[in-house]
Amino acid sequence: MEINVLEKTPLKLRLYIKDIPLHVLNSIRRVMIAEVPTMAIDSVVFTMNSSVFYDEYIAHRLGLVPLTSEKALEKYKLPEECREAADRGLFTEDCFVKLDLEGKGSEEGLVTLYSGDLKSSDPDVRPVYDKIPIVLLANNQEIRLEAYARLGRGKEHAKWSPVSVAAHKYVPLIHVREEICKGEECKKCIEVCPKDIFELKNGKLAIKQDKILDCSLCRICEEACPYNAIKINWKENEYVLTIESTGALPPKKILLEAIKILENKIDDFMESLKKEGVVK
Amino acid sequence: MMIPVRCFTCGAPIGHLWEEFKKRVEAGENPGKVLDDLGVKRYCCRRMFLSHVEISCEVLNFPKVS
Repeated sequence: MEINVLEKTPLKLRLYIKDIPLHVLNSIRRVMIAEVPTMAIDSVVFTMNSSVFYDEYIAHRLGLVPLTSEKALEKYKLPEECREAADRGLFTEDCFVKLDLEGKGSEEGLVTLYSGDLKSSDPDVRPVYDKIPIVLLANNQEIRLEAYARLGRGKEHAKWSPVSVAAHKYVPLIHVREEICKGEECKKCIEVCPKDIFELKNGKLAIKQDKILDCSLCRICEEACPYNAIKINWKENEYVLTIESTGALPPKKILLEAIKILENKIDDFMESLKKEGVVK
Repeated sequence: MMIPVRCFTCGAPIGHLWEEFKKRVEAGENPGKVLDDLGVKRYCCRRMFLSHVEISCEVLNFPKVS
């Protein structure tokens, strides 16, 4: 297996992976979306709300705010253990982080409360972005609430998913038969390509090598070519994996965590097979 | 209502970018250019900004009945 890093920023990771079966890559991708735990607000207790917004509306907005979760993964109990505690109203410290929000409207104009105004009981778990507006308050309006965050998984609610994008795509193989292609006389494929991949070089049709991965295999160029000179295909067992984080976890951590979870799942499966006597 | 915290389609957080977007567009900049600057790439996230009407600031000032 060969892996190249195409792009790496704090929120995005793009990998070119060779010699990996598609179903393995897809399993990892799906685990990243649905199984990697992150922190998010799950229960909100309102002690005062005289704003024009419903409690539910504010609670929903709070739930969607991404919280930093890298250290929380080791510190707090897993979602399966904490889920029932919240239903019974037990906000224990090994499961929940408390975040307080308080604010009052002023006479001078509208007051906006931001995610940065949330006061967390654990400095390792706080909003990733400080400028997300939560509520607007006019004069004589007041809000006081306690929000409780816990670990959860994307399969329970999308707010716990650490990724906004986790996708893989094929690597395109664009084949131009030069003996048929009319080059400068035609140019139909150049005009029609939505990703702007073709160009003319010395009167001949050429492919922009730095843009080849942008190709979405839409095959409009194939159809547009009056001489059938273009053939689009894809490489076997080569893929581009894109991960875009919501900020809760760094993309590298998401990938490693996903692989760990997938491994555990397979181990569990093997164990069950042994227990049932299917394998020895 | 208020600007959504996340994009409806892909789930990327966008709420924190709204105030800068609003300020710069009101100052006369091209909305598309501002979105490029803010790193909002996909069209699902871009329409969240372009189609948003901030109605809550106005509704807020009416007297509450209950």
